[in-house]
Amino acid sequence: MLRRAFQATKRIVSDLWYDITSSVDSSLLGSARFLGLLYGPIDRSLRINEALRKSLKYRLAPHVGWRHAPGGITYLLFMVLVVTGVLLALFYRPSVEEAYPSLQHIVSVRPFGWLIRDVHHWAANLIVIALLAHMARVFFEAAYKPPRETNWMIGLLLLAVVLAFGSTGYLLPWDQSSYWTVTEVMHAIGHIPVVGRGLADRIMGDVIPSGATLSRFFALHVIVLPWIAFALLGYHFTLVRRRGIAPPMEQPEEQPRWRGSGLFRPEDLPEDGVPFFPNHMLRSFIVGVLTLAVTLTLAILFPRAFSAAADPYLIPPALVSTWVPVDVSLALIRLAGSWGLVLFGLLGVSLLIVPIVDRGPERRLTKRPVVAALGIAFFVGYVALFAAGRIMGTVPPSASIGGGMEELPFEPTRPETPLPELDLTPPAPSGEPVPGGVR
Amino acid sequence: MIPGTVHTLMLVATVAGSSPAAAAPAHRTQQLMPADSTYGCVICHADKRRAFQQGVHAERGITCDACHGGDPSQVEVAPAHRGRFVGAPGKLETLRLCSTCHADPDQMRQFGLSADQLAEFRTSRHGQLLITQGNMDAPTCTDCHDAHLIRPSTDARSNTHPTNIPATCGRCHDDAALMGKYGLPSDQLARYREGAHGVAVFQDRNFAAPTCTGCHGSHAALPPGIAQVTDVCGRCHLTLERAFAAGPHGRAAAVSIERGCLGCHSNHGTERVAPDAIADLCASCHGAESQMVVLGGEIQEQVQRAEEDLTLATEAIEEMAAEGHPVEDERFRYVAAFTAFQQLAEVQHSLSLEELEDLGRQVRSNTSIIRSTAEARAEERWEHKLLLIPLWFLALSGIAFASFKLRELGR
Repeated sequence: MLRRAFQATKRIVSDLWYDITSSVDSSLLGSARFLGLLYGPIDRSLRINEALRKSLKYRLAPHVGWRHAPGGITYLLFMVLVVTGVLLALFYRPSVEEAYPSLQHIVSVRPFGWLIRDVHHWAANLIVIALLAHMARVFFEAAYKPPRETNWMIGLLLLAVVLAFGSTGYLLPWDQSSYWTVTEVMHAIGHIPVVGRGLADRIMGDVIPSGATLSRFFALHVIVLPWIAFALLGYHFTLVRRRGIAPPMEQPEEQPRWRGSGLFRPEDLPEDGVPFFPNHMLRSFIVGVLTLAVTLTLAILFPRAFSAAADPYLIPPALVSTWVPVDVSLALIRLAGSWGLVLFGLLGVSLLIVPIVDRGPERRLTKRPVVAALGIAFFVGYVALFAAGRIMGTVPPSASIGGGMEELPFEPTRPETPLPELDLTPPAPSGEPVPGGVR
Repeated sequence: MIPGTVHTLMLVATVAGSSPAAAAPAHRTQQLMPADSTYGCVICHADKRRAFQQGVHAERGITCDACHGGDPSQVEVAPAHRGRFVGAPGKLETLRLCSTCHADPDQMRQFGLSADQLAEFRTSRHGQLLITQGNMDAPTCTDCHDAHLIRPSTDARSNTHPTNIPATCGRCHDDAALMGKYGLPSDQLARYREGAHGVAVFQDRNFAAPTCTGCHGSHAALPPGIAQVTDVCGRCHLTLERAFAAGPHGRAAAVSIERGCLGCHSNHGTERVAPDAIADLCASCHGAESQMVVLGGEIQEQVQRAEEDLTLATEAIEEMAAEGHPVEDERFRYVAAFTAFQQLAEVQHSLSLEELEDLGRQVRSNTSIIRSTAEARAEERWEHKLLLIPLWFLALSGIAFASFKLRELGR
């Protein structure tokens, strides 16, 4: 009985699968066509149907597998950020007076506002991790070597854009935590020797984070940076298609095939490749579903706590950072001082220069000791510093100026027990010591 | 003020034994000042020069000879020390010199100062010792105010600024050997610093809180008697005094059966009684078996309950605020509850259980509304987590389907 039911289900599923696969070859766009969208001049002149079918048939080299997933995850998280960001922008108001209440409104009144906000927050954190994982794969597999060196540069620019997205977005909730973390980041920039202080003031538009800072960070976050990101992403993906995916490490680069257009020609297809549809499509589906599920789970279980509305006059006794790079820079400043921050920054910049210098055909990691050392120093250092910053990092350095300012609670005690000893020595009486002097 | 003036002038005459008319006039025109290089006194007494260029007297153009006599226009010792030269005055002489101006309402009026310091000083323990017994341990004007560098009490560097007064008094009253001679304790300063008033002055910079002089008086310094303590405290703690007077303790204090405020609070320490120590405090006088301890226990229960309600309400508000819910209404309710709690702290001095229960109910009704709102929010949060079930069901079945298919393709 049970077996028959199982067999029947299996048959239905495999029929369904057959329907899907068979409809792909002939007309994946069947439903769109059914609605009349792709008939006529649009389809004839743009050949959308043909392009789609070609790309579905595209064969990827057999070594392309799960370790290539972080790049896709990064893009998926970027799209998640775009969608949730647009939804948040519908209700968010970028002004000192209204930013915090508008966020309270989003979280407590709007249906699923709490979810949208926390997914945005968690995706912003996960995208940094996914991006670094993608970058590490490309770096250690020597995928940055010619002819793909331009794409490595674009990738680093995209990293900078993502970090800029995070630093500007961090201020927008305008609560104590975000206000003082941005103050910390600005302090970190101020630690850069010589130019730091002036640079920080230019970024803030004021000497402390204020309404001017909020306005320009909002403009950067929702207008300027998205355009830059979309342009760079378009270029990044185009180059991936034109230059192809890097061969495995053991295998030297074959003659680059300079294609005239972004579309592949059937004669370029690797004979032993795995077709994008359905194999890679299914893998992407698995990775995508997992990414979304993890992001949603983190958002549901660990929402970012609201602190009080931002108050420039009140330094919080402790700050808990909620963004990865903040922990990293905090650990750097604490452990290595301002020059340490600069040196680590230079290490990051050296990764930019690596593809210019390192152009040889050698792809094995053991034959590239300098590059391997640089890469390990940066990526392992980043992870270690993140952990260190997480552990040490609750009180920001600037909070030390408020050391004596936090309120000591007045403890009521019983009449016979003395109050805890407080250092309340009053200033020494001024003037010359009098008694005796006059007598 | 006029009869007082005559009285003061007479006092000055008796103290100093000389005529007030003999004192140097305070104001001169076209006179040399200690800052001038040709001013005679500072040629030798250079150490006093800086001290006397600042402070209220230097600002008013009062020069060395106003108190010390002599002739500042001379540059040699003998002619400069001629005339009504005083030199370093003794303690009684100092009192006379200061009073020449400070006991004269006509001179003090322009500065908005009272002229009753000498009259007050005579009534103080300090004055009694110095003037009538000639005891040189007792302070004179310059011991508290400095001799040359006298600053207004609004100046934070002044000996008489609120934050410096305890140290000024402590110069003598912190000296165990000196106080031992008169059978006085010397721990007042330490206890004051740790007490509610000391914390208010030194830590919160709340200068409305009293320093030594707030309760003892400054020039007329004397410890208040047992019968006067309630009035002294009641000068600031008005509502507490009223509640206290209405209760059985107040009635007993009025006929000097017990020690007023000092029955439960200490004088220099001014500690608050911890809410969980109320009944024990009652037992310390009434005995543990007494009916009064039962009442004390009931009062303690009311206070503790109200305090606990407030703590729970604070936690509930913080929890809601951390989730991003607007909590203005809840904070408003909290203020209402806190007001009732403060009244409760006041009313407990009357030992009226009925009033206490009424205020306790007000605290409870307000805080329970806050807490029920927070509970509703917590329930919502729990419901949010239920979303994980369909989410992972869909995700896992999708992944299972895809990986099943992938394996099939791989074969």
